[in-house]
Amino acid sequence: MIEFSHVSKRYLGGYDALKNITFRIDAGEMVFVTGHSGAGKSTLLKLITLIERPSRGQCIVNNKNLLKIPKRRIPYHRRDIGIVFQDHKLLMDRTVFDNVALPLVVSGCSYRDIGRRVNAALEKVGLLDKSKLLPIVLSGGEQQRVGIARAVVNKPPLLLADEPTGNLDEALSDEIMDLFLDFNDHGVTVIVATHDLRQLRRLRKRVLQLQQGEIVNDKAPIP
Amino acid sequence: MKNYFLRHFQVLFFSLGQLAKSPVASLMTIGVIGITLALPSGLYLLIDNVQRLSVGWNSNTQISVFIKKETSEAEVNKLVKKLKSNPAISSVQFISSQQALAEFKELSAFGDVLNSLDHNPLPDVLLVEPKKSITEHEDLKKLVAGIAGHSEVDIAQLDLQWVRRFHAALNIVQRGILLLASLLGLAVLLTISNTIRLAILNRRQEIEITKLIGGTDSFIRRPFLYSGWLQGMFGAILAWLLIHISLLVLAGPVGELTHLYASEFRIQGMGAANSLSLVAMGGVLGWLGSRLAVGRHLREIEPR
Repeated sequence: MIEFSHVSKRYLGGYDALKNITFRIDAGEMVFVTGHSGAGKSTLLKLITLIERPSRGQCIVNNKNLLKIPKRRIPYHRRDIGIVFQDHKLLMDRTVFDNVALPLVVSGCSYRDIGRRVNAALEKVGLLDKSKLLPIVLSGGEQQRVGIARAVVNKPPLLLADEPTGNLDEALSDEIMDLFLDFNDHGVTVIVATHDLRQLRRLRKRVLQLQQGEIVNDKAPIP
Repeated sequence: MKNYFLRHFQVLFFSLGQLAKSPVASLMTIGVIGITLALPSGLYLLIDNVQRLSVGWNSNTQISVFIKKETSEAEVNKLVKKLKSNPAISSVQFISSQQALAEFKELSAFGDVLNSLDHNPLPDVLLVEPKKSITEHEDLKKLVAGIAGHSEVDIAQLDLQWVRRFHAALNIVQRGILLLASLLGLAVLLTISNTIRLAILNRRQEIEITKLIGGTDSFIRRPFLYSGWLQGMFGAILAWLLIHISLLVLAGPVGELTHLYASEFRIQGMGAANSLSLVAMGGVLGWLGSRLAVGRHLREIEPR
């Protein structure tokens, strides 16, 4: 599903965010990427979603060589990836329904399909009864679940989450992580960047540990 | 394909909704565009009307025919008869040298000076009026040349100079309006471009998110282009209204004036074709202005 070989990323100004990274994530895996802030977790996710381009090395995502995707094809690449953000990135002036519908509208889904699929996604995250509300009246955990519903509504094979539980308490964090686990059980490849060690211990999945732009540990899942 | 049109239709309504969401700001933009477009269009209409008014003047042209001094009255009468039989001429009026002198004495302050002259310095004059159907300048010139060819005629002169000067002046004014219109068109372009720029910056976060979840540039561009097009078009419609309200206000006094001149002249509005092209022009300017802003600013907004 994802293959990085000898990937480096140097930002303008000479800061090395990633140094010669090589790893491979198979389809259907669930992987935690962990490390202190500044270790390169976010950069890793940005390279996968083509928000950034690598300075060196080769990335393959969804069997596509990212080097060969021109700028104008980037939107189509992103449609195959669901992204969950720490700060949700919801549109506060649109209803929950409209927020979740956005990826479908963007890809030109028919009207009937949009209603059906948005409701299915909202049901999955337990917010079907709040679809008419504006996100602003929801709690932090609920907003994050709207973000997740939006990320999975067009059934992408790959789901990325950047610190999805960063602002949530333990119980809510467990809820969110269990959602990711559930998607993974249904065959979605899930990558979660987090420094929530409690979740790593609880879920016992594979862990990629980054430190100053290098992979210092690749722990296999504990059965 | 059906889906494609449906989506454009949705975007159109979405853009309309966005405009309605901030009515004051939208109305102000549309107002500025309306006034900007009304100015050159109104002037153009004015010139158009003046031109139609002055078309009638050409047919009121007279040819002044000065008769040679030594010509006898019988010969002049023969010439008058000959001219009257010319199919291109509608009337011939004879003014003898005595008549002309009397008139001149009456109208000028030179009465005493003229009395002291021992002979009448003025020639006999024929005032020839061409048929109304002859309006082409070339045809008139031919007619004048024909009249001048008679042996009794000293000079035949077409009193058309001032009409031609007037038309030349109108041409200059028309050219000036064209320049003004181009400048004001540019102003509309920039107004819309600026409005759309602000709209883009206002919705920066939305654009960023849309790019993150796979919205193409053309998808993101579309509502802004529609918005610019709509504002330009509404501005043009407002300009049309402004012009025609002004015409209504002017119609009374103009009617009075033309009545005094016993003229059939009436102010005419823009007409369907011109009205449509005004609205279309507004739409095109709006679209272009929006395109200008979108091209520059959407590229700058990339997710971080």
